[in-house]
Amino acid sequence: MVLAIETRGLTRVFERGDRLVYALDDVSIRVPRGVIYGLLGPNGAGKTTLIRILATLLLPTRGEAFVLGFDVVREADRVRRVINLVSGGEKAGYGILTVRENLWFYSQLYGLGFSEGWRRIRELADLLDMHDFLDVRLNRISTGMAQKYSLARGLLNDPLVLFLDEPTIGLDVGAARYIRGVIRRWVDEDRDRTIFLTTHYMGEAEELCDLISIIHRGRIIATGTPSKLKSMVSKEVVYKVEVKGVSEDSLKMACSDLDWLVGLSSKTDVESGNVVVRFIMRDGDASDIIRLIEGLGGEVVSISKVEPSLEDVFLKLVGEEF
Amino acid sequence: MSGLKSNVIRGFKAAIARSYVRVKGGNREPSWLVWEVFLPLLMISSVVYTYQNLNAPREFVGFVILGGAMMSFWFNVLWGMGSVMYWERERGNLEIFIVTGAPLYGLLLGMALGGMLNTTIRALAIILIGVFVFNAYFNPVGIPGAILIFILTLAALYSLGLSLASIYLMYARSGWRASELLSEPMMFISGMYYPITVFPFLLQLIASLFPLAIGIDGIRRCLVLGSSINSLIWHITMLVIMTVVLLWIGLKILRYMEMRARREGRLILRWI
Repeated sequence: MVLAIETRGLTRVFERGDRLVYALDDVSIRVPRGVIYGLLGPNGAGKTTLIRILATLLLPTRGEAFVLGFDVVREADRVRRVINLVSGGEKAGYGILTVRENLWFYSQLYGLGFSEGWRRIRELADLLDMHDFLDVRLNRISTGMAQKYSLARGLLNDPLVLFLDEPTIGLDVGAARYIRGVIRRWVDEDRDRTIFLTTHYMGEAEELCDLISIIHRGRIIATGTPSKLKSMVSKEVVYKVEVKGVSEDSLKMACSDLDWLVGLSSKTDVESGNVVVRFIMRDGDASDIIRLIEGLGGEVVSISKVEPSLEDVFLKLVGEEF
Repeated sequence: MSGLKSNVIRGFKAAIARSYVRVKGGNREPSWLVWEVFLPLLMISSVVYTYQNLNAPREFVGFVILGGAMMSFWFNVLWGMGSVMYWERERGNLEIFIVTGAPLYGLLLGMALGGMLNTTIRALAIILIGVFVFNAYFNPVGIPGAILIFILTLAALYSLGLSLASIYLMYARSGWRASELLSEPMMFISGMYYPITVFPFLLQLIASLFPLAIGIDGIRRCLVLGSSINSLIWHITMLVIMTVVLLWIGLKILRYMEMRARREGRLILRWI
């Protein structure tokens, strides 16, 4: 069976003055049809570069890439017939036209018939609950509405492979959940459909994706189902600890050469000023953490053992915070 | 359906859709009347008053009005059609256009058609105001010939716009320089405010390499001097040749620039 997406040794180099920047470095992935595939990585990891190559907007420097068996370099026209691309935070279209007019414009670019375009817009308005703002000018709609509009545009041609670049970026929790629900339903309706999604939200990848690759500095460092990836830290124990009276920097400095620690991530709570830390430990237990904090003159406000997350996997693989 | 036929149909649909945007968007705000009719009229008026003050023949008023009206199309090609790729990229539209698979020439054709329609309305407004305010006289006998020359001139001009758009696609802001470079010299050499027959022979020869100069001259001959179509064979032939050559070059450059832009990442990077 033809894969939805396949890349072999894909490399993309950009020139920045005198130096070469490897945005992608020898990336090889295989995405079967009918899944939501997530490419997870921090900003600048190479996610957008990969999606732009697969969407035929950018040529690779080396390597090969195929979408439904079509070569993205030599058969770009064929690839474009079966894909669509939606980038989060973007509102492609014309501000002076209404949402409905913009969608009709794009329906014509996708080659839909005149009346077929209007019919498809009505269907998508039902699916995405857009009727309230269909006749509002594009430059007057909110971020949440804009994301629904973008997704509607992405579904206009009923693509077999839909590329979603950070689809929920900038959305509030409710709107993001709604968009994720639509994405999930859309794939479940027809198992020939595939979604290639990039995100830097761990929770989103974990909730939505059937298969995930973690990308870091242009290289794929792990691929698997969310549970398989999390099993990479099954030998470790993760503690979530709220600490008072110790800064993030001093904590990290003190942890730099502890043999029982695999990694840690931290953030400071703005309201309380306390530091919330995730300790990934191989040997040792909660008492080691408490002794460490107290040794630094701090106080443990709370400590609990938690389930490993993809964030912990990333931390273990890369050795730095996401 | 054959690849070529399917491509042409997609291109045609894209053209209709893009011209819809251009016409609808261009007329939704009534401020266009000020910018595109009254402001050009100020310049035209100053030249008309100068000619009237110098007791120039009456035909000169018609010359200036037609020159001003035709110049609107040139500015539309330079700043509207030419820069469209730049603006589309800045808005984030260009990458979506490419991904749709619609041929880029379709979008540019749509931009051209929409631009032609909008500019024709503006140009007609300029001519009507010229007739009523400055008493410009146009010979109705020359209207069919003028329409033919007008259509051929637009075809050649907008074909030239295709190449210009490719420059913007590749070099973005640098395209402005190309537009500026073509703007003022064209006002001089096209004979916007005077017949190019006032030029020395060599300059007339150079002017005849530009479709705008040939078009303005031909339309003036029809509408002001009452020349028949038969006497404009040279104009018609030159404009047809220019359209074919410029269209061919434009499509080739567009295809080449698109591939180069994909290779260098210029379709997606907005800072270039």
